[in-house]
Amino acid sequence: MSRSESSDGGRRDATGREADLRYALHLLKGNRLVLVGLFLSAATILLVLLSHLLVDPNLANQQPLALRLCWNNPIINWNIANVKTCPSQLPLGTDAYGRNLLQMIILAIPIDMQIAFEVVASAIVIGVVFGGLAGYAGGFVDEVILRITDVFLAIPGILLAIVLIVVLGRSLPTLTLAILITWWPYYVRLMRSQILSEKEKPYVERLRAMGAGGPRILYLHIVRNAIYPILVQATLDVGSVILTVSALTFIGLTPNPLLPELGNLASQGIANIFTAPWLILFPGLTILLISLGFNLLGDGIRDVFDPKLRR
Amino acid sequence: MRLYEYILRRLLLMIFVLFALSLLIFYLTRGLLPPTSALAAYITPRMDDNAKLSVARALGVATANCPSYQAFTQLQSGCVVPVWGQYLTWLQNALTGNWGYSLLPGVAPLTTTWNAFFGRFPFTVELALAAAILTILLGVPLGIISATHSNKWPDHLSRIVSLGGYSVPQFWFGAVLQIIFVLYIRVNGLGLLATNSAVATTCGICFASPGTVTAFTGAPVFDGLLSLNFPYLWDSLVALALPALTLAITSIGAITRIVRSSMVDVLKQDYITLARSKGLKERVVIYKHALRNALLPAVTVSGLLVSYLLGGVVVVEIVFSWPGVGNASLAAANVLDVNFLELYVLVTAVIIVVTNLLVDIAYAFLDPRIKY
Repeated sequence: MSRSESSDGGRRDATGREADLRYALHLLKGNRLVLVGLFLSAATILLVLLSHLLVDPNLANQQPLALRLCWNNPIINWNIANVKTCPSQLPLGTDAYGRNLLQMIILAIPIDMQIAFEVVASAIVIGVVFGGLAGYAGGFVDEVILRITDVFLAIPGILLAIVLIVVLGRSLPTLTLAILITWWPYYVRLMRSQILSEKEKPYVERLRAMGAGGPRILYLHIVRNAIYPILVQATLDVGSVILTVSALTFIGLTPNPLLPELGNLASQGIANIFTAPWLILFPGLTILLISLGFNLLGDGIRDVFDPKLRR
Repeated sequence: MRLYEYILRRLLLMIFVLFALSLLIFYLTRGLLPPTSALAAYITPRMDDNAKLSVARALGVATANCPSYQAFTQLQSGCVVPVWGQYLTWLQNALTGNWGYSLLPGVAPLTTTWNAFFGRFPFTVELALAAAILTILLGVPLGIISATHSNKWPDHLSRIVSLGGYSVPQFWFGAVLQIIFVLYIRVNGLGLLATNSAVATTCGICFASPGTVTAFTGAPVFDGLLSLNFPYLWDSLVALALPALTLAITSIGAITRIVRSSMVDVLKQDYITLARSKGLKERVVIYKHALRNALLPAVTVSGLLVSYLLGGVVVVEIVFSWPGVGNASLAAANVLDVNFLELYVLVTAVIIVVTNLLVDIAYAFLDPRIKY
């Protein structure tokens, strides 16, 4: 059972918690989809850590134009007339600048993952601070915070992000900021609703009776018990953020056309979609696998830790 | 609180949201960059400084007593209208129906923003509606099948479809559909690949000359239907199929997940056991007794769904060169066309807020326990 279910602020005896953990691991082992998710996300993180060792980042800036859009992989035959054959074997062909597509994808994964982690981590912090405040304080503070989230939830996020990127300039930090600005309201809402049900529990009253102050009760005790759904949501959102980043760079809001970023690599492919289909297929497939990995993982964790969904 | 009081309160709240949004978008497009950037899209190299100054005045960026364009670019005091002043002028114009002229590439000169927007809007509505219908037609049955066959192969299959749909980049899914149907299966273009061009352009499953229709709504499918021109209707549906499926794929995944989990919950409840023990057929138990309750959570997210579809059109319209507002909004953002962006944001916001309100009202009718 997760700590959010215990009513005494997570201070259960060690044996009980150990048994819980063992039971959770047992459930996880039986769930094959989670294992696939775990494998995919672990592989992604491994690639993030090793990418600069596997591929020299300077290769992204080289443009061997003679090798543009060529394909030399004996296993896959595209059956398209006039495909240029690369002089040496390149597993995923080359892109519109003549760079090795496989190397570019390996260089791209850390860039997308960095943005995803930055957005999700900042959204959690904003969610905890303001959602916690809204839920715990209630009244006027709650009303003001809710109305601000209303404004942001009333327009499609991508539109706001597009305007922000155009105005603030095209760079990776503005891309991150633009996505964060469309993302935080969900976390504030989620945290607030968690706090609302958590703050009525008896242990909060006990803490209050013991003389603990509001901020201490909220941020040290209630948040600690109410944060698990937020963390599950965050795992699920890593995939969604990567989808959003790549969509934004795909439609042309990229800092630099040479930047090895998955959406950016795919955007070269749309112009050559019927002559060089690999150029959009493989970067997109990479996005799909990363996002699927984190979604499977998040789903599985939720299934295991949410007693309502346990069979 | 009575229902009408609740609706009134929500509508008042909507006015606040629209006002705040218009302020936000105006500040983003006009307040963060130097005032000359507002002119960038209007100025041509052949204009002299007087012409530029009159453009600046017409846009409400330069004051009437600004002596010269030089003074304006050097931001002399009393020459540049402050952002709040620009906003008030804009608000006054917008409220009287004056949304300025469109800056979009490819529209006829002196087309008003209003006409440019609402000329394209029916295409977006058509696409979003088709995607919403696909979402319900595919997502709800998949969710039900998944729940009733829990942990058997139909469940695994529909979970893979839903998680895949949830994880797939839309632009990629659209591109893959185009590659499959145009390059390999060749539904649209029959015949073999020509030696030089990879794609055949002859029409495979559509009518080469479907004729014309009266523009009742501006959306091809509805116009074809209302004009009783069925070849035109068929062609519009053929054109709509792939973009609509692309737009729907993510929301199909989301709805399947929600319907599945709520159906699983409902099927465990006592009244379902009672219905089964009365000897009712499984079909009746599921479709008559369980479904109504299981769909409640799906109804709640339909507000989010509308918001999602209206946002998703931006990418899907670009991938399929669909002539809707989503496609145009990127062009509008690139030239900082404040009127078009405001119109888009406000129209979208009204749709989203009203949908959310309707969902909440519908909820009260569907679930009599809920009171406002």
